Amino acid sequence: MNITVDEMEKMTGAMSSAELASERHSRTTVGDFTAADPRMTCRNVDVWYGSKQAINGVSLDIGKNEVVSMIGPSGCGKSTFLRCLNRMNDTIDGCRVTGSIQLDGQEIYDKSLDPVPLRAQVGMVFQKPNPFPKSIYENVAYGPRIHGLTNSKAELDELVESSLEKAGLWKEVKDRLDQPGTGLSGGQQQRLCIARTIAVSPEVILMDEPCSALDPIATAIIEELIDELRANYSIAIVTHSMQQAARVSQRTAYFHLGDLIEVGETNQIFTNPQHRLTEDYITGRFG
Amino acid sequence: MTDISSAKPTGDLASGHTVRRYDQELAKLRGIILEMGERVVEQTQAAVFALVDREDSHAFRVLDREPQIDFLSLDADEEVFRVIVRRQPTAVDLRIVLALSKIADDVERAGDKAVRIARQALELKEFSTDSGCLSDSLKEALRQLDEKACCMFERSIQAVAGFDVAFALGIFEDEPDLYQASNKARKLLGEQDREGLTPRQTVCLLTCAHALERIGNHAANIAEQVIYVALGQDVRYRNREILIETLRHRGY
Repeated sequence: MNITVDEMEKMTGAMSSAELASERHSRTTVGDFTAADPRMTCRNVDVWYGSKQAINGVSLDIGKNEVVSMIGPSGCGKSTFLRCLNRMNDTIDGCRVTGSIQLDGQEIYDKSLDPVPLRAQVGMVFQKPNPFPKSIYENVAYGPRIHGLTNSKAELDELVESSLEKAGLWKEVKDRLDQPGTGLSGGQQQRLCIARTIAVSPEVILMDEPCSALDPIATAIIEELIDELRANYSIAIVTHSMQQAARVSQRTAYFHLGDLIEVGETNQIFTNPQHRLTEDYITGRFG
Repeated sequence: MTDISSAKPTGDLASGHTVRRYDQELAKLRGIILEMGERVVEQTQAAVFALVDREDSHAFRVLDREPQIDFLSLDADEEVFRVIVRRQPTAVDLRIVLALSKIADDVERAGDKAVRIARQALELKEFSTDSGCLSDSLKEALRQLDEKACCMFERSIQAVAGFDVAFALGIFEDEPDLYQASNKARKLLGEQDREGLTPRQTVCLLTCAHALERIGNHAANIAEQVIYVALGQDVRYRNREILIETLRHRGY
């Protein structure tokens, strides 16, 4: 019996030559980029800095109650993509974002949409802890106050306490709420920033290398916190630590030169990635 | 734009790390196992020679050399721990380390089977008044079983050397021949009266036949691990015929 190449590829589950060509053309990511219950839905997102394209047609969902980690070498576009999710790139001159990014079905780049409340719904925690030069209390109370989320001082006090509780910081700071946030340790400052983000009731929390400036103990506390926060929020985290991605996330996305190369269950990505570039990166064969 | 159509990695799966020391560590671990494998083949052949040709010196040599394989097994364990601690391997590296750890166990156990055969060879002599107690047909059957088991084991070690799926599949394809050779030896031993064997001698020889068959089984276990490393698929407990057909179709 004569079997054609395509038939054999079909029998063995391999990708046919035609499929490969089509995949290359459409820049399809290896793996399933959709989530069963998506909170954010990104489709064919391109990002340009002037004439330079930084992100090439990335499609990725962020599901409810899941942590998605984004990994890849420096300059691969993972932070750029993360910053698209709450329109942080709007503040960069010459930055242009095309494609579709929806939060609960609402297009976030809709011209009628105000980015300020969006950034409360999609909060962000940065690489370096950046508390305001104010008291611990004011760091957390500032957001709810400007967004008008509370009606009384008592309500605000309660919100500050619950946010610090959720960030695992309340016990450590409850007796010194009036002291400056900048006086806390690095790990505590990062948790204060997380409390500040939580205080405005976000749906999604974006984290851009949140532990890169922290020691292993503070990192472990933040990672434990991320796992607890997952019960109430969707989380997208950019990290250079592959062990951290493996520990905290349910799905992992690998970026390379602006392309989303592969996305999949974290266990699968770290044990049996399907793309050579992913495997080369996570096994230290890059470059 | 990135060409995202690339297939899975090619070439030596254990090399190419940015940190070259990592390559060396994996090569060292694999080298220990390859050395263990070579020694096991030598041990098995010597043990069967002692059994069939009644050469006690070979049996004693097998017993003397057994600790060397055990020590190599300890070295392999130590390297596995070292690589895990230092490198936190992922993906293909993780599969290599896990698989080599299991392979080391299989190789060490195959070495134990060679020792078992050597012990039976010495025991057989104790119960034998006639040095030529084995018939020619029985000797031939045992030699054939030894040849098949050793050939499978040698090929399994070669498969480990290159994480070669084609070699691994060849071992699965040899399994029916192994069982056929084993059954032939057992059948002859079942006719102990005709072979002029005492029940005690028959038990000794059956133990040897079983040990040789187990060496072939260890080779197949090793082949499963080679496929796990190369393809990332756990093929244990899979139907062998379907597995061979599927992978041969893929060009392995």
